[in-house]
Amino acid sequence: MLNITRRQFLSYVGAAGGSSALLKTSLALGLMPDDNYAGPVKIKPAANGEQPTALILGAGVAGLATALELEKAGIHCTILEASFRPGGRNLTVRNGDKIDEMGNPQICQFDKQDNLFFNCGPARIPGHHRRILHYCRALNVPLQIKANSSKMAYFHDDNSLGGKPKRIIEYHTDVRGLMSELLWKSAENNQYDQLLSEDDVAKLMKFSQTYGDLTENGKYIGSERAGSTTDRMLEFPKPHAPIELKAMLDSQFWYGGLMGAELYDWCEPLMEPVGGMDGVIKGFLRNLKTQPVLNAQVKKIYNRDNGVEVTYEQGGQLHTVQADYCFNNIPAYFMAGIDNNFSATYQSGLDSVKRGHLFKIAYQMSERFWERDGIYGGISYTTDPIGQLWYPSHDIHAQKGILLGAYTWDPKVGAMFEKMTPAERLTAGALYAEKIHPGYSKYIENGISIPWARMNHQMGCGMRMSPEDFDQYYSLLQKPEGRHFMIGDQISHHSGWQEGALASSEQALQQFNRLVSTNTKSGEASHVA
Amino acid sequence: MSLKSTLFILLLASAGGTLQASEIPTPVGLEYCTVCHGSQLKGNANIGAPRLGGLSKWYIERQLSNFKKGVRGAHSSDVTGSEMQSMVRHLTPGDISAIATWISKTESPTPKLTVHGDIEAGKNLYQGCAACHGADASGNKAIGAPALNGINDWYLLTQINHFRSGIRGTEPSDVYGQQMKAAVSTVQSDPDAANLAAYISQLN
Repeated sequence: MLNITRRQFLSYVGAAGGSSALLKTSLALGLMPDDNYAGPVKIKPAANGEQPTALILGAGVAGLATALELEKAGIHCTILEASFRPGGRNLTVRNGDKIDEMGNPQICQFDKQDNLFFNCGPARIPGHHRRILHYCRALNVPLQIKANSSKMAYFHDDNSLGGKPKRIIEYHTDVRGLMSELLWKSAENNQYDQLLSEDDVAKLMKFSQTYGDLTENGKYIGSERAGSTTDRMLEFPKPHAPIELKAMLDSQFWYGGLMGAELYDWCEPLMEPVGGMDGVIKGFLRNLKTQPVLNAQVKKIYNRDNGVEVTYEQGGQLHTVQADYCFNNIPAYFMAGIDNNFSATYQSGLDSVKRGHLFKIAYQMSERFWERDGIYGGISYTTDPIGQLWYPSHDIHAQKGILLGAYTWDPKVGAMFEKMTPAERLTAGALYAEKIHPGYSKYIENGISIPWARMNHQMGCGMRMSPEDFDQYYSLLQKPEGRHFMIGDQISHHSGWQEGALASSEQALQQFNRLVSTNTKSGEASHVA
Repeated sequence: MSLKSTLFILLLASAGGTLQASEIPTPVGLEYCTVCHGSQLKGNANIGAPRLGGLSKWYIERQLSNFKKGVRGAHSSDVTGSEMQSMVRHLTPGDISAIATWISKTESPTPKLTVHGDIEAGKNLYQGCAACHGADASGNKAIGAPALNGINDWYLLTQINHFRSGIRGTEPSDVYGQQMKAAVSTVQSDPDAANLAAYISQLN
């Protein structure tokens, strides 16, 4: 483009592609904001020049990010963490690490190798989670692409195709073909005469032919897009026999599974920190002036006239600390067991947050047998209780690998696994996975299980409120009660995601800024008892 | 120096007066109990973990042993019972005795009333219970009947219903549980159960 102004260029694009092309090009040129995210909240100095102090309860992602932003403004933070480790549900385990399950403590037996680790909590980051990506950049947490889908992986359902697993690409291709064939037939039978011109109906038939790989007369007879039953390098490809339309319609789980890599939070490519998700936690800790106080279990939280007073217990001793503001990352359902002077309504709001039963298993496999089957990363899906198998996309062709052997957030299935001993869970998980990968069990060297609803000090993952409670209490919990803010993914529309936790922290800090800048005396009574 | 700019740590052990007599620190190793049962074991309905303060040592020991032996908590529908089972599985009789001693010393506020029922109707139903548990629900150690006052009303209701439905009290070796299972035959409906729990809870 020589001697052409940006405005001229845009008018050409607009003429060629209509207003939506103009919009997209404008975005690409940075003329219009794509979203409002402009980095974390900048904490303003207090109106009276006297910096307040803060207590952060819980060293999870929301707590650590809140502390980091407050410390940048010179605000002193005390971070109390009930567990022996910081990070909350951002937990990566390696050789020798303790898994603090209530009643069933486990020690991770993975070999002592850098590439043998497991992300027990968050494990993937989509490109539009701007907040967590900001921190990865700012805290020097290197990322790599995590393959969240592999079309070579499998769908499995005992009630479909005789329980035989099917490659996702074969199923995808057949579904497209069968749906396109129906579209062709409708067009051929003049179903769209009212809607489309004759020319457009012809285009629609052409589209369905291309989309579904149909024959000249609109039939789907299988497609080499899903591979071949012959060696397609040396011979003409011969497509797999397609599934029947009736079988496709009966395979309800599978057509649900089609969405596995289609939804916004799972849209490719996703990312993961190199070496484990806890790289994020380590990044925060490297950059915090004050480290969390560990093994410090909160017993009381009181809004006072001039701040918040918290009593915690550590090593059999009770300690009381006080600060001007408190940011509380503790799972809300624990708050009924912690003495407090919150209003009855606020406490009811906290009580409305229910425990989630997310459950995971991970196995150390002696060989990466899935790679010999053409699967490099991605997920197989099954109707069996294990739900999903995740194949690692890092350290391709290494000798061993950590395979996610179960992933469910169904409360009933989670409860079933929670009742088992860790050894029973590993046995059960292997039996189910044998249906997808015959011989699976013989590669298992050791394994761990993470029932989040039984993990000490978390007792849940994927918190949820009923729709009615959400209407009644969510906005209440988004606001502070006195000087006390609830934070964490629980105070977001995105429970179970670090991005939700960071959004809650951002929201609390914006309100904090307003409180501090309007309070002429930051020690003044500001809560309503 | 003002509070607002100073974050201070107060060691309650050395500060004396601030610590109430009832606020005894959690023995090392038993912090797990307070995660669910709450600060000073005050109970947490969100977790289904009842207040434990006010229970007799002998009753706590019996229940912990029952959970350990699978006399209690083994029923497939007893979700919180199974959670308790996994917590006591590894305890020795000595551990159980030490835990019971600690629990019997903890104090916490009287639980709030949350179950609404017809108190008069509950009173009539309770006549059959009073023979063992006492007119004031303070229990009778000699016949193995625990005190019922001071227990959360929602927990009483849950357990009455567990006895009614056989989630509790059907295990052959659960002698006392089987007696209870027989005794709750007078509770014939969900409103009956709520009325009874509501009556017992206001006996405090």
